[in-house]
Amino acid sequence: MGRAGWATVAVAALLLPLSTSNTYYLYLACSVGLLTIVAAGLNVLAGFAGQISLGHAGFYALGAYGAGLAATRLGWPLWAAVPAGMVLAAIVGAAVGAAALRVSGPYLAMVTIAFGIIVEHVLVEWVSLTGGPGGIFNIPKLTVGGSYWPIAGCAAAALWLTANLRASAWGRALLAVKSSEVAAESLGISAYLARTTAFTISAALAGLAGGLFALLNGYISPDSFTLQASILFLLALLFGGLGSVAGPLVGGAALTLLPELLTGLADYRLILYGSLLMVSIYGLPAGVVGAVGARGRRSAPDTGLPLPALSPEGRGVETAGEVLLGVEGLGVSFGGVVALADVTLTVPARGITAVIGPNGAGKTTLINLITGYYRPGAGEIRLAGEPIAGRAPHAVARLGVARTFQTAQPFDDLSVVENVMVGVAGARLGALGGALLHGPGTRRRERALRARALQLLAVLGLAARAEEPAASLPAGLRRWLEIARALATEPRLLLLDEPAAGLSPTEIAELDARLTALRSQGGPAIVLVEHHMELVMAISDRISVLDYGRVIAAGAPATVRESPAVIEAYLGLPA
Amino acid sequence: MLVQLLVTGLALGSMYGLVALGYHITWATSRTMNFSQGHAVMVGAVIAWALVVALGWPLPIGLLATLLALAVFGALIERVAVRPFFRASSPAWLLSTIACGIIAENVAQLLFGKDARAFPSALTQRPILVGGAGFYPQELLIPVVGLGLMALVQLFYHRTRYGRQLKAVAWNAEAAGLMGINVPRAVMASYALSALLAGVAGVLLAPLLNVAPTMGTIIGLKAFAVAIIGGLTSAPGIVLAGLGYGLLEAVVAGYVSTGAREIVGFALVILVLMVRPWGLLGAPPARRV
Repeated sequence: MGRAGWATVAVAALLLPLSTSNTYYLYLACSVGLLTIVAAGLNVLAGFAGQISLGHAGFYALGAYGAGLAATRLGWPLWAAVPAGMVLAAIVGAAVGAAALRVSGPYLAMVTIAFGIIVEHVLVEWVSLTGGPGGIFNIPKLTVGGSYWPIAGCAAAALWLTANLRASAWGRALLAVKSSEVAAESLGISAYLARTTAFTISAALAGLAGGLFALLNGYISPDSFTLQASILFLLALLFGGLGSVAGPLVGGAALTLLPELLTGLADYRLILYGSLLMVSIYGLPAGVVGAVGARGRRSAPDTGLPLPALSPEGRGVETAGEVLLGVEGLGVSFGGVVALADVTLTVPARGITAVIGPNGAGKTTLINLITGYYRPGAGEIRLAGEPIAGRAPHAVARLGVARTFQTAQPFDDLSVVENVMVGVAGARLGALGGALLHGPGTRRRERALRARALQLLAVLGLAARAEEPAASLPAGLRRWLEIARALATEPRLLLLDEPAAGLSPTEIAELDARLTALRSQGGPAIVLVEHHMELVMAISDRISVLDYGRVIAAGAPATVRESPAVIEAYLGLPA
Repeated sequence: MLVQLLVTGLALGSMYGLVALGYHITWATSRTMNFSQGHAVMVGAVIAWALVVALGWPLPIGLLATLLALAVFGALIERVAVRPFFRASSPAWLLSTIACGIIAENVAQLLFGKDARAFPSALTQRPILVGGAGFYPQELLIPVVGLGLMALVQLFYHRTRYGRQLKAVAWNAEAAGLMGINVPRAVMASYALSALLAGVAGVLLAPLLNVAPTMGTIIGLKAFAVAIIGGLTSAPGIVLAGLGYGLLEAVVAGYVSTGAREIVGFALVILVLMVRPWGLLGAPPARRV
């Protein structure tokens, strides 16, 4: 939805209460607003972070009962009672998210369903507090006209906050986790923290809508907070457009107004919902908003700047001879199969260390162990003397270790420049409040992140495609993008997992030139896992050869080339 | 009282296990499942009611026709709601199967009416009295049929040629495909079997619970809870978790309240997931980088 679209909606929302005093229309408009707020919250969770909740009616209920009880039992004014309900929902949301988000997929669906059902039954059972099945009916409510403005204001705020979030480092981190959790963690992002944050935001917005619901109706009972309500919330989001900022508004309006227009078909309501859900999933993965708005994107010119200085301050303390990475006696086995045994590898703080070996020799396993994706069964991994074995991938990344993957994993939901911005920001996502409110500090940071990312893209020849979706890049460029993203974290150590695989001879020559340039300009220490012998022999300072999970030779390229053990491993003959 | 609760608990628990086994069967072959498995329970009960009670078909023929219809229902769900999203990383199948369930519930409402109807059975006419406890013969039949069926399913998987093929698909779909096994058809067969088991549960439970379009939702959710607690990848875990869940539920409902029953049951799922995310007997998935 463009500027004109938003302006039209805003004008319509302002004119509506002036043009009609029909409470039915105003009540419908309020319902649209409430559904918009909940769906906007779910959009952060499902659209940005990629997790589905089937229990948000539970948070809606917490907001409604929190506000209702604060108003009736404690006598709080409505302007304080509604935020109280919202805070209650957010706190419970953070707790449920922290407990649930170690699992995903059907497991997460189960936890959220269970949460919703528990809330629903507690509301029924805890009669002394909640009034039981009869609910709470003496909430000091506003007139429908009086409810309109707070609800419309909150709905606008919810959309505005989610739009800000989407454009911030936090929003990019969420989308990165959704696209590729593994790659996001390699940049220092804790997927768990990101998801829990998204879950908390979505719970808070559901709670806000619940509080406003209580204020609009003056009456709440457990019937409004069932599993069906949770499904309806999700349906509104999916129908409007998952991940798009306007989606919740469109979906909220459609799902409130359609049943009203089709009152004659009340008996077919579930069929209507079910079919809408099917259509949303089938034909319109991006919902109505995605189907309507296909917009063009601008491209930035290629600047052709020289390679920007890497590690300008702080990190570059090691001198060339010092050992940056020390691997000793490293071993791991999977289900009884020994993948690596007693591997020893020393990587100095400068230069390129290659790890070669036949297929299945354990090279990628070695990278996965160093970067924390696998837990070693034996041995030590030290980074600048500090033991790092057993740490989580994002924790290792934060120590200055970056990597690429055998199959490049750009974040397909982000643009090219945003991919690199995720790397530049790394774990430093800034204040969440600033991201939501788009404060001046956040804006300044955004400009700096973007400038730095564009600089890196220019160096790697991707500037012209900066604003394109990463998903549209051809295979060779996906690899450059991944390298740019890894370099953006200003690593001390960069591990490249078969960067030449699938590249054309021209592209391999380019890779050669860029890695050489990186080394000569004082870039990070590089561990290069590669099959392409010409490249390895040309640019490596040292080579370690793995075979059947063991190091069979190590040393300068010329020495390794002559080693009988290496020749045997590659040719299968005794030399 | 306790004996009565134990009988009821075992009866319900074996049905949760049977329905939950349906989740396991499709999860194993395709890493997807029918989130509206509970609606298959309802469809089974409704069709059996229509054929046996309303049309007066003889019981054996009516039941056979019901099971056949359920297998077709399961295959249809697979074709419409799962296959288009097979192996998509998004949980689209999760939502599309929910959508199918919602539609099925509405169709049942339109054809059957909204009200619950009794499903008379010779086994619920007169309760058996043992000491102070009274229960229906149906409640004894249910766990016998339920556990028997679960054993049959295991035999099918381990001893028959087609069962082994399905197991091969579960183990490694790609390799199974290369060995000439028709993987899409195997997935569809697993959905048919899964719905059929749910339908059996519907038919068995109908005389005890009455038949209504809304009867499936909560059974399906509890069976899902059981599948998660036992471990989606473990059939024995699911059978045990089903019996355990049924017993726990009966005891809590008997000594506390029916509302507390749902609270305790679903709190248990969350607890299990926090302590053992892959279920009591399930295997954790390997992390792929």
